[in-house]
Amino acid sequence: MKLSKLLTLAVSILLSYQLAFADAAEGEQLYKANCTACHAINEKVVGPALKDVHKRRESAWLLKWIKNSQKLIASGDPVAVQVYKENNESPMTAFENLTDAQISSIVDYIKKESEAPAAPAVAATSPTAKVSADTNSSNGGGFYTSGTYYALLVMSLVLAIIVFVLYRIQKVVESLYEQKEPAAAAAEKAENVSWKNNRLSFRYKLFKKHPVVGTILVSLLFMVVFGLLGFDYGNKEIGVQKGYAPVQPINYSHELHAGTYKINCLYCHSGADKGKQASIPSASTCMNCHMHVQAKKEDGKVSPEIQKIYNAVGWDAEKRMYDPSKPKTPIKWVRIHNLPDHAYFNHAQHVKIGKVECQACHGPIETMKVVSQQRSLQMGWCINCHREANVDVANNDYYEKLHANLKTEGQASITVAQNGGLECGKCHY
Amino acid sequence: MENKNQYWRGLEELNNDPKFLAGKKHEFAEGIPLEEVFTEEDGDLTSNRRDFLKYFGFGISAVALAACNKTPVKNAIPYIVKPENITPGIPNWYASTCNACAANCSILVKTREGRPIKIEGNADSPVFKGGVCGTGHASLLGLYDNERLRKPRIKGADATWQAIDKEIPTALASSKNVALITGTVNSPSTKKAIAALIAKYPQIKHISYEPFSYGAIAKANKESFGMEVIPGYRFDLAKVIVSFGADFLGTWISPVEYTKQWAKNRSAEDKTMSRHIQIESYLSVTGSNADVRYPIKPSAETAYLISLYNKIAVLAGAPSLGSLPAVELPVNGIENTAKELWANKGQSIVVSGSNSIGAQVVVNAINSLLGNIGNTVDLANYSNQHYSDDAQFASFVNDLSSGAADGVIFYNVNPVYSYSESAKLMEGIKKAKVSISSGSNLDETANLCMYNTPDSHYLESWNDNEPKAGYFTFTQPSISTVFETRQMQESFLLWAGLTTNFYDYMVSNWASTLNGDNWTKAIHDGFYQASVSPVSASFNAAATNGVEASAYELYTTNTKKLELKLYTKVGVGAGEGAHNPWLQEMPDPISKVCWDNYAAISHATAKELKIKDGDKINITFKSGKIESVPVLVQPGQPNNVVAVAVGYGRTAGGKTGLNVGVNAYTAANYSTSQMHMQVDVKIDKAEGSYELAHTQTHHTIEGRAIIKEASLGEYIKDTKAGNHDHHKSLRENGNLITLWSERDIKGHKWTMAIDLNKCTGCGSCVVSCNAENNVPVVGRKEVLNRREMHWIRIDRYYRFRTKDNNFITKEDDYNNESTGVDFENVSVTYQPVMCQQCGHAPCETVCPVLATVHSSEGLNHMAYNRCVGTRYCANNCPYKVRRFNWFKYRDNDQFDFNFNNDLGRMVINPDVTVRSRGVMEKCSFCVQRIQAGKLKAKLENRTLVDGDVKTACQQSCPADAIIFGDINDEKSKVREYFKKDRAYFVLDELNVQPSVAYMTKIRNVNEELVHEKGHSAAKHEAKPEEHKKDEKHAEHHS
Repeated sequence: MKLSKLLTLAVSILLSYQLAFADAAEGEQLYKANCTACHAINEKVVGPALKDVHKRRESAWLLKWIKNSQKLIASGDPVAVQVYKENNESPMTAFENLTDAQISSIVDYIKKESEAPAAPAVAATSPTAKVSADTNSSNGGGFYTSGTYYALLVMSLVLAIIVFVLYRIQKVVESLYEQKEPAAAAAEKAENVSWKNNRLSFRYKLFKKHPVVGTILVSLLFMVVFGLLGFDYGNKEIGVQKGYAPVQPINYSHELHAGTYKINCLYCHSGADKGKQASIPSASTCMNCHMHVQAKKEDGKVSPEIQKIYNAVGWDAEKRMYDPSKPKTPIKWVRIHNLPDHAYFNHAQHVKIGKVECQACHGPIETMKVVSQQRSLQMGWCINCHREANVDVANNDYYEKLHANLKTEGQASITVAQNGGLECGKCHY
Repeated sequence: MENKNQYWRGLEELNNDPKFLAGKKHEFAEGIPLEEVFTEEDGDLTSNRRDFLKYFGFGISAVALAACNKTPVKNAIPYIVKPENITPGIPNWYASTCNACAANCSILVKTREGRPIKIEGNADSPVFKGGVCGTGHASLLGLYDNERLRKPRIKGADATWQAIDKEIPTALASSKNVALITGTVNSPSTKKAIAALIAKYPQIKHISYEPFSYGAIAKANKESFGMEVIPGYRFDLAKVIVSFGADFLGTWISPVEYTKQWAKNRSAEDKTMSRHIQIESYLSVTGSNADVRYPIKPSAETAYLISLYNKIAVLAGAPSLGSLPAVELPVNGIENTAKELWANKGQSIVVSGSNSIGAQVVVNAINSLLGNIGNTVDLANYSNQHYSDDAQFASFVNDLSSGAADGVIFYNVNPVYSYSESAKLMEGIKKAKVSISSGSNLDETANLCMYNTPDSHYLESWNDNEPKAGYFTFTQPSISTVFETRQMQESFLLWAGLTTNFYDYMVSNWASTLNGDNWTKAIHDGFYQASVSPVSASFNAAATNGVEASAYELYTTNTKKLELKLYTKVGVGAGEGAHNPWLQEMPDPISKVCWDNYAAISHATAKELKIKDGDKINITFKSGKIESVPVLVQPGQPNNVVAVAVGYGRTAGGKTGLNVGVNAYTAANYSTSQMHMQVDVKIDKAEGSYELAHTQTHHTIEGRAIIKEASLGEYIKDTKAGNHDHHKSLRENGNLITLWSERDIKGHKWTMAIDLNKCTGCGSCVVSCNAENNVPVVGRKEVLNRREMHWIRIDRYYRFRTKDNNFITKEDDYNNESTGVDFENVSVTYQPVMCQQCGHAPCETVCPVLATVHSSEGLNHMAYNRCVGTRYCANNCPYKVRRFNWFKYRDNDQFDFNFNNDLGRMVINPDVTVRSRGVMEKCSFCVQRIQAGKLKAKLENRTLVDGDVKTACQQSCPADAIIFGDINDEKSKVREYFKKDRAYFVLDELNVQPSVAYMTKIRNVNEELVHEKGHSAAKHEAKPEEHKKDEKHAEHHS
């Protein structure tokens, strides 16, 4: 019996230990999933800072509060009423679905975090700040900033001036020499034969002996240089700019939002399944989350990138309200995917009806810290896809009618091209 | 040639004018304007090889320099807070009311990203049924007018609204007699706001003024029936329509409403058609569509009306009006008309465009005698569309100049331009203590006023209108104010000391009738129909007293003298449209002249006065002179009458209208019963000549049978009358050779049917197409060069008769004096022509770069960016519908119209490419709408149904003459039309298989119109073997 008792004890200790271990892990998970939208450990977000909350409040009270704070307030609990008033009377979401054990695991996690040193906790809650630092280093500057342009311009001007001055000095010296020693100068001049008479010089061979070859060579050189420059420019002018990754006004990371947090593309680009434009989200859409997610830094300031959103919409992060006195300034994003004006492209046709993944045209967007143009967006590229892609006939009543005609001809499915997708007037009008 | 041409594009063609002949040889009026590019100022062609090398070298260095630039950075700027109901790229539609004229049609406004870009008809409206006229379409440009007043002004200097609101109430309070001059005000809330202003300042009196007044109708109705209203006319209920100069299909009172009504009874398939008789003094749109038309002198109108009354009175056994001798039209016109009217009593209608109270009283007497009152002339559902108190306005002008009145407020009227005694008015305004103008531009009146309080455009305003009794149509803003303008109603309320804004004021006015959801529904629908109480009106015979004597005197004293008739044109109208490039460039339906008015003179009168087309003349009348107006010899114009359109010759109010035409309002005789005419005028030749810019002779099609017509009688006997096409039978037998392989289109096949019976030529489709497809305005000079860009044109054909009533078929008939052509009586046919989207398109074959190719849906696509501008396609197009961009029409000071400034470009449809210089363009069957319609069906997971896709020209056609759809859709309307016996293709003999079918025009006349020599019953000479091949023909002739 003793053995069995001992065994039971051992098992229970083990279990409790495991439970405690599970508590910490589960608590962290639950905390991150449910609380971080409004709370942080060390600072006030929407709700108060949670550091040492286990010391301030009794666990029974916490349990009631977390489950349904409004009920507690309504019951007239003085502490609850006070907390409610202190926090601008913004009600806390009720978590009736959480079990008592789960809530206590969250409290355990807060307890653990409260005892830990402050810095890591902050770092853990501000991934955005980290990312923005990364993007800054990877994307900062670049060769063609306007600063370098001006420096180059000034340098070439200085060089030109130097060349001019030297040339003048040489001329002055030469004329002085001629004045002082005319005989010697004349002799030297006669000796100094021009390349035009020097049959051995390369220039003579090229331009005097074979003028046609020379002209062609020089013209070719010019044409190649200017042609390449022109081609490059022309391509960019018509939007062929694969790899174009401009610096955006806000270091927004698709990797973080679409990759790590798996926010649906359509949440922000809400026009993509409705009409022509996928549409860049308005700043107010950003605010839906970033009203709460501030990614504060060590110094307690809002992440500078998120602050840019606040500046755009006139949001006062301190008072947590829109400040009508602040000017509203729209964010000037740089367009990356530019189709020429004469090409009509409709997102809804491709996203909603064609069921084309966003990545098919935009590349692995969920891995991009900085968005770059991944496809050439040239007509040939469009056409290729139209040749290969099938029309989803069966799932759309509109196509079914067309399909009915084709069925008699023994075709099971049709490609976009067979549906007229290669015709000029489908995209150009 | 079997079918001899009887249809003429104009007198130039009939007359074999050398210029016309020279022009018709060439597809393009001029060669490539290389000279313009390379010629130095001395006029020599100095460009040579060296210059070429220079340009070449410059080109290379330009590219090199350009290559040094960075790629242009394009920004995408999203909303800060996205409005909930706006999704970029998807249009929003708002129901509203057109305020381009006082007809107040219910419209829908299409907005993209907050910008109104297109006006269309509201098809749900029980009154207007989805029609919009050209002026309505073009009123959109007024919103984006770069010359609009941007803020209020005080004494010529920019001011603030605060300053205005401080000064004006004081000024009004200190003046003793102020007039508020408005146009027609039929908005109950606006009326109430005006009443509030008058309550505060009892010295203000409200006077309605319309430049081209219809005021006499209401006055006559007051005398006749005791109701000072314009009745609701029901042309749809009338079997016989007699109009004395009322251009009800073009400009008169409510043309869209009337065109819808008129067109209802013009389908030949019913085998009954209304009979339309027009008696008028110039060739109007309505007259050109009439079955029978009598040209008369304007002074004779009332005399003819009285004679008509007397003839009917004989039939009715009623006493006649006086005992003066009857006047009669040629071939007993009055007597026959009287018989037809009497035979259809209660189902006929007589209207008059005259602004003489006497004439309108006689019209009432006739309608009352015929029992039309309460049937076709509805006094219960009366019209509020035009109201003008001419006498009151005239006496106010006298008061103002004498100093008896010391203040004036002009609310969207411009009488300094349009009043016949303008000088007196100007003098008065200068004397006034307070003068306020709400004009949106610095027009002639606004220039003189102390205060300019610019009214917002109607697309920026709230309002409620009651165009017909009980029919309320609401205006809701579809954009916030572009500039610091304020709708005048707000000003009225503020100056009256009320603090509510006009919207709240309007809502509270409606609160008892429409509240909550009902109000929302009314604003959503755009209109609200209340019930009206029936009216029993009886004609007061005493009203006709004294009319007869004066009318007869006017008629007899002027029989031999020259007369002047003033009229309004479709488009520019009474002058409001003068600063609108779309309207200026829209060709006049009859003369096809754009960018000008002119003196229309009959052929005989021109001959008598020894003047010809392009001469300039001075027209002198009792009270003044119209100087230096160009002459247009107009078929259908009555002899000894010269007709000039008002609305031109503007001297202020926007650069588009400046120096365009001459101001004819000086002859308007505003305060008399002879308002739109002058009797006893003298014409003498002025210095110089002038070439009018008309599209009439452009895009000439050699004398081929492209118009088909038949009389109703012929049609009833044989539904294929006039349409026994020889070539069609050849094709049916497979004998017609073609270069192309046959296409078999299984999916959609887009086709269009045009009912020539219904098309009135009003030009609404042309302006609608301009707006939808970003068609540039090219200006007078380029129209003269035959480079207009309209994708749809309305061809107008004349058919002349000799004195012995045969149609002219050969040119020499015209010159042969003994045959004699009756130029006063001309039969007019309209034919809208756009790209025919040929199945076997000749343009496609000749394009060297495959820029125009065929689609699997039967469309002829045009890829602008592939086009290199060889113009082979235009050269090879048998329909002459392709247009070449000779210039860059945007951002180009040579074409200083709406495409030349940022604001004006706001009207551009973002779904349609703005074409650049050097490319060809043409009608695309509104492919952007087809694609949008298909996308909508796909997104809604359903098949496309007929009516999902409507082209811009079709949507707003007031006559429903254009039908568009998928001919492979068995339920489509267009399929029905293609099956009709009237359907034919233009130039069918070429076998290019067009996708546009025209319906033979059927006229309700008692004569033979069919001119197919091979098939007309009397002259049939076809060979027997042809009959064997064509059974249908055999049926017809058996």
